[in-house]
Amino acid sequence: MRSYETMFIVHPDTGGDQFTAVLDKFKGILADQNATMLKVEEWGSRRLAYPIQKQGRGTFVIFFYEATAAAVSEYERRMRLDETIMRYQTVRYEPGSQVAPAAPAEAGEAAEVAEEEEAD
Amino acid sequence: MAYERKTGGGAPRRRFGRRKVCRFCADRGLKIDYKEINTLNIFVSERGKIVPRRISGNCSEHQRKVTEAIKRARNIALIPFSTAHSVD
Repeated sequence: MRSYETMFIVHPDTGGDQFTAVLDKFKGILADQNATMLKVEEWGSRRLAYPIQKQGRGTFVIFFYEATAAAVSEYERRMRLDETIMRYQTVRYEPGSQVAPAAPAEAGEAAEVAEEEEAD
Repeated sequence: MAYERKTGGGAPRRRFGRRKVCRFCADRGLKIDYKEINTLNIFVSERGKIVPRRISGNCSEHQRKVTEAIKRARNIALIPFSTAHSVD
């Protein structure tokens, strides 16, 4: 089990109910893969730096979770199939100071260790 | 045949101004992450290019991390690849 973060852009035309449905759907997919959700960040509607699928805006969401590699690839496959997801990017997540407040207590300790390593 | 190489030939290299210090080494609190667009924008030129180390003054380790972060941010449309796009 490793920690990952996946940022994805939801199509701007997905309204309130539909939007929460999309989030719940992907949370459910992760839960089915025995992943533990650490944190969900919603950035809301943002301007894109360049148009994607002819859209100038998009809703940004980040999931922080712990999962196996197989779970991540299944999750990404499901994202590719969903047309409301315009783009996604999964990155290894090292619990840092930025995300620590909402993360569980053990993440805070890991952040301290990471900072010590950087200081060397 | 082969000329003997002069050691350090040419005029001595002149340096103007003071040597730049890597700002990530100077300020440990500053994080390099693809989500921190404000920090990354310092290291992106107006055309969207990554500013080279000789200008930004970053150390090699941090320059590498900045480059990685900028490329990630570009993929997810947080930072433009170039200014050529006109949105809206």
